[in-house]
Amino acid sequence: MFGLAKGLKYTLKNMTRKKLTYDYPNEPLPLPDRFRGIQKFYPEKCIVCNQCANICPTDCITLTGKKHPDSSKRGKIIDTYDINFEICILCDLCTEVCPTEAIIMTNQFELAEYSRDELFKDLVWLDENDTQLRRENKA
Amino acid sequence: MSEKDKEQLKKEAAEKARAAAQRKREEREKKKEKSNDSASEMPQTTEDVTSNQDLEKQKAAAAAKAKAAALAKKKAKEAEGTETEPTANQDLEKQKAIAIAKAKAAAAAKRKAKNANENGDSEKAKAIAAAKAKAAAAAKAKGKITQAKETEVSEPITPSPQQPILDRYLNIVKEHYKDDILEDSYINRMSKHVPTIVVKLEHYYSLALLFKQHSGLHFEFLSELHGTDFETYMEIYVHLYSFKNKQSVALKVKMDRENPRVDSIASIWPGANWPECEAYDLLGIQFTNHPDLHRIMLGEDWVGHPLRKDYEPYDVEV
Amino acid sequence: MIRTEEMLLNVGPQHPSTHGVFRLVIKIDGEMIIDAKPVIGYLHRGTEKIAENLQYTQIIPYTDRLDYLAAMTNNYVLCHAVETMMELEIPERAEYLRIITMELGRIASHLVWWGTYLLDLGATSPFLYAFREREMIINLLNEISGGRLTFNYMRVGGVKWDAPDGWIEKVKAFIPYMREQLAGYGDLVTGNEIFLNRVKGIGQYTKEEAMDYSLSGANLRCTGLAWDLRKNEPYSIYDRFSFEICTADTGDAWGRYQVRIQEIEQSLRILEQAVEQFPETGEVMGKVPKVIKPPKGETFVRIESPRGEIGCYIASEGKKEPYRLKFRRPSFYNLQILPKLLVGQNMANLIAILGAIDIVLGEVDG
Repeated sequence: MFGLAKGLKYTLKNMTRKKLTYDYPNEPLPLPDRFRGIQKFYPEKCIVCNQCANICPTDCITLTGKKHPDSSKRGKIIDTYDINFEICILCDLCTEVCPTEAIIMTNQFELAEYSRDELFKDLVWLDENDTQLRRENKA
Repeated sequence: MSEKDKEQLKKEAAEKARAAAQRKREEREKKKEKSNDSASEMPQTTEDVTSNQDLEKQKAAAAAKAKAAALAKKKAKEAEGTETEPTANQDLEKQKAIAIAKAKAAAAAKRKAKNANENGDSEKAKAIAAAKAKAAAAAKAKGKITQAKETEVSEPITPSPQQPILDRYLNIVKEHYKDDILEDSYINRMSKHVPTIVVKLEHYYSLALLFKQHSGLHFEFLSELHGTDFETYMEIYVHLYSFKNKQSVALKVKMDRENPRVDSIASIWPGANWPECEAYDLLGIQFTNHPDLHRIMLGEDWVGHPLRKDYEPYDVEV
Repeated sequence: MIRTEEMLLNVGPQHPSTHGVFRLVIKIDGEMIIDAKPVIGYLHRGTEKIAENLQYTQIIPYTDRLDYLAAMTNNYVLCHAVETMMELEIPERAEYLRIITMELGRIASHLVWWGTYLLDLGATSPFLYAFREREMIINLLNEISGGRLTFNYMRVGGVKWDAPDGWIEKVKAFIPYMREQLAGYGDLVTGNEIFLNRVKGIGQYTKEEAMDYSLSGANLRCTGLAWDLRKNEPYSIYDRFSFEICTADTGDAWGRYQVRIQEIEQSLRILEQAVEQFPETGEVMGKVPKVIKPPKGETFVRIESPRGEIGCYIASEGKKEPYRLKFRRPSFYNLQILPKLLVGQNMANLIAILGAIDIVLGEVDG
């Protein structure tokens, strides 16, 4: 019986401790800066090097480029950029390889939708996703 | 190295040799124009090419040889670690055969050239000689490959610390079997120097039993068992460990790819039961005398074995 | 004489006490189990097949999803295999970061086991306490890697991030806190008579049986065999730390419980030393070729994960992708002994035996 009494003491001691739970949807969840959330994309920074699409382990990024409208400039600019969040695993490899930091992670993780089609995010959506940006993007 | 890569390499080597011969021919032509020399004596054998007084030719040949040797070295390097693969040997054999054929062809061409009109043919004959030289160089290079390979095997950089342990295993195996039951045995340096033994298919079970029961080996712990499809054959890899002797060994067995069948070792180590089921499920390897062989991951109605390299996904609904 | 009849009972695949999608078909005679057949594969995702078409860096996120309670060790075993093949040098600081994160992961994993096992046995509050402490570890790992479960932290040749400012201090502060809680756990559960009656002598096997069935980790050490790869075949820099191999000699669920609780303490010891020795400065990424191409050949390495011996076999053709990748998944091997343990046992002990093995279904099914 002694063991039970000792256990009860521990329980009672814990009743006075500070509450540790979060009041989550009512209050935003505190997350560290490095947290890997939904990506933010900067179309103007992108040089269409295709590295993010190549490194993606699930092949969820599709992009196309077009010729620079200013014919005096070389290189390409981005035309379309889509991430399929049905299969994206937010592994952070796309932001790791990006040479210009055109794609970065944010601290947002809420992606619930009523339809699968809505999980297909395009360039405009990813560009407008500009809250809670990650400050530190390169290791 | 896949067959394709080898083909590519061979092609490249041929290309290089051809280019070298071409250069030689051009140089010779230039020289001929200068000195206005008449047709020189045709060398009788390929060896005579080098004894020819034509220095230029010798130099070119030497260069070609050096190139070929370098290539051979490179090839040998690539062949290192693939010694166990029969394809490497076959490939060498093939290369040799090709070299011989080339030499023969060159000789035939030479004979033809001799029969033809001497005056107008000196140029052609020279080209033939060059071709012959090329063939000789190639043949020598091939010889070097085999040589290089042999030296690579016979003199490891530093003897592995695990070598005495492997020798001990081999001695025990020799004591128990009259004939040679091993296909190969080596130290796998890439895998933390683990002694690796490749056993012939029919002796797999009995050797496994010996490994468990012999007091000098006493591998009571099966750490890992899995199969691999190497396209020309199937392989079972078993990693064993002995807590008593604090030693490990990798036991491998190769089998026919079309009808892979091997004795189950689940009766020796019950821990091999599920891994064998997994190998059966994903690779289609049949384990005879297995207590309960079933498709453990995918279910009995799955079509095909996914880890085979020629697997095509099958879906009724598509 | 009472007439009895055999009955088939299906447990799972959706059952809270199987900790995942694990199905068990048992034959019972009254309260007695007379036969048991585990059915697995519900979470099989074909990781090994997928990996054959991926570069080594791309495989790392997939390893997170095998043993999702201790993803750091999974990350490590793949990197370690590739590094062994390529004979890469890992910077000192990266090695320490790896050890610290792996040991934190080990504690988190054992805490989940402790909480859920007691939940299986009917005690609710230990689960809450365990997750409270685990949450702190998860937050620490989240800060350094950016993920709470799927860390994707290690890379071939080092780690992705250096520790953020003040992180090491946070780990340092966590160690005494966890020690204190661990003592509390002892008060709460370890001396509890009801709990002891529930686990002593349950699911017992001998050392020989454990070796025969390829058990590893706490399942092997509970039979008295002092076998820990961190000590017996030191990898990384484990040879620099002094810690003990925890064993018990009973070979039952109680022994496994003791081993795991002691292992938390030993992990804290390693953490303490690692934080102390942590180099002030230094690189976290070694000199690695831009495209990782291990030379042609094969390798098999094994390390100690919280659940046992996790191994990684790579057959390489000298290409960017592995020719064959195979994980030796400890839960898969450990689970094999279950039918043997269940036969002849009382129905009520089923969950106590299954829980004590400590399986993660993501790892069983691969």
